[in-house]
Amino acid sequence: MKQAFKLAYRNLMGAGLRTWLNVSVLSFSFVVIVFYNGLIDGWNKQARRDTIEWETGNGHLVHKDFDAFDPFTILDGHGNISQIEDKNLSPVLVRQASIYPDGRMMTVALKGINPLQNALKLPTSKLDTACSEVPILIGQNMARSSGLNKGDIVLLQWKDKNGTFDAANAVVADVFKTTVPTVDGGQIYISIKKLWDLTGLQNEASFLIANDQYVNTQTDQWIYKDQDELLITLDNIIATERISGSILYILLMLIALLAIFDTQVLSIFRRQKEIGTYMALGMTKLQVIKLFTVEGLMYSIFAMLVGCIWGIPVLNYFARNGIPYPVENMDDFGISISEIMYPIYGFKLIIGTVIAVVISATIVSYLPARKIARMDAVDAIKGKLQ
Amino acid sequence: MNTEKIITLENVVKRFKVGDGEFTALKDINLNFDKGEFAGLVGPSGSGKTTLLNIIGSLDSPTEGTATVMGKSISELSHKESALLRNHHIGFIFQVYNLLPVYTVYENVEFALLLQNHSAEERKKAVMDALDWVGIADMANKKPAKLSGGEGQRVAIARAMVKKPQILLADEPTANLDAENAHAILQTMKSLNKELDTTFLFSTHDEKVMKYMDRIIHLRDGSVEKDEIINSKSSSK
Repeated sequence: MKQAFKLAYRNLMGAGLRTWLNVSVLSFSFVVIVFYNGLIDGWNKQARRDTIEWETGNGHLVHKDFDAFDPFTILDGHGNISQIEDKNLSPVLVRQASIYPDGRMMTVALKGINPLQNALKLPTSKLDTACSEVPILIGQNMARSSGLNKGDIVLLQWKDKNGTFDAANAVVADVFKTTVPTVDGGQIYISIKKLWDLTGLQNEASFLIANDQYVNTQTDQWIYKDQDELLITLDNIIATERISGSILYILLMLIALLAIFDTQVLSIFRRQKEIGTYMALGMTKLQVIKLFTVEGLMYSIFAMLVGCIWGIPVLNYFARNGIPYPVENMDDFGISISEIMYPIYGFKLIIGTVIAVVISATIVSYLPARKIARMDAVDAIKGKLQ
Repeated sequence: MNTEKIITLENVVKRFKVGDGEFTALKDINLNFDKGEFAGLVGPSGSGKTTLLNIIGSLDSPTEGTATVMGKSISELSHKESALLRNHHIGFIFQVYNLLPVYTVYENVEFALLLQNHSAEERKKAVMDALDWVGIADMANKKPAKLSGGEGQRVAIARAMVKKPQILLADEPTANLDAENAHAILQTMKSLNKELDTTFLFSTHDEKVMKYMDRIIHLRDGSVEKDEIINSKSSSK
């Protein structure tokens, strides 16, 4: 095998430009595959981290009748939390409401939350303000769609526990910026105590957010959903992104491998005299096949080395500075997406890509090289097409 | 005088398929070659010279009859065994040199030794010795494309001789050379034959080459027409 590597190295070095063209194409594919997967991994990590910090906390203790994905459960999906005295849980009561910015009606989810909670990154302390209007908190997307800004007053309408409509002026205490669209679009946050007073649903909550110290105390009424369960939607979306990304890198790999395959097929035809000479000099057909296969394998090894030379600085630059990802409307994505994405290149990703590229390059080199086994040495020496 | 038989051909017949029929390239060839012979197969194109060399070189095998080279029957050798025989005991020189284009002169000559797993030091000494024999040691780092015809053929001789084979088969080695270069090449081969006692077997239809031969075998239409001993060192069948 050492001999095959030595001869293959000489052949590739001797082939000059042809070798370096193939190596360039393959190294480009290699770096792009690592970059794209790194980007998805970075996105995944950022999205998970931000979603935990802004939405899920350490998990949710959800009322048995409440389903965050079903608006029809908002009305009755709540229960009394007097029995649950755990300082590691922050109650959230969800009600349907309407606001009237500039006289037009917008339906919103009104979320009552403890201004002193520390499970989420939401700046709820801004709700702890004494004023004649109801202090509310909205996200940037909500502010954009409603046309509201910090300090604006808007009419808020809700239904109390008896189904009676009531209304009051609300003041935007703060507009927060988040990368998590599910805590922003169509949502208004107010102090839970205020919401209890407005709706008459004293000590009621739709779910409770757990902090890091929380220990599961699931009951018949309240079902504990841990981070993994709450992040399943995110995981599914990332998995879908990964599949669509894999199509991109399969295409890239195919282009690169096609270049090697094409070179190998051409080599078998163009280098027949050389193949015949190898046999005349005492190489077995198997040794010649091995030589051609190792040549293909070495393309991938060279591609790794060349890819490292130009790829490491480029990938490192993007890992440090991130890639600006201007998002017009975050709601379109459905999951957390940062304005700057930072790729993460894990060991598993790099080794996996290296192995995939090396194995694929070896296979596409071996396939045309098998033709050598059927070659007649005498005809090959003459360079006669077979 | 050395009379050790190194090549024995008994009733060798070679047929090739041509379309639906067959073409007989060699008809009942019976020949023996002793170690150290300097013999030529002479005849017009299509007389079977190259086919005979290919069989002796274990690149091909006879359709009928027995070809025994260094005590081994060519027909009975496996693909690997015949490759080993070529690698260790048979050198080839081709009409168009068949040098490996991406290798330097040094690497071309070194190739056979690489296959024999010699150490780098042994290889270097053997390659430089071989290049010295043929007088092109100063061209070791040149690529074949930069060589003249005569120089290319010298590299081919060095490549064939570097492993010190028992048999050297040369197929029209001077066909692409001018008279001066052809003379120089043949002189080199002749001196290597004397120095190393290697058996040289040529195929040629060049009259000028024949005067260097110790033995000339005339082939016509696949049969031995005449087997001439010019120098007593050679022996006929």
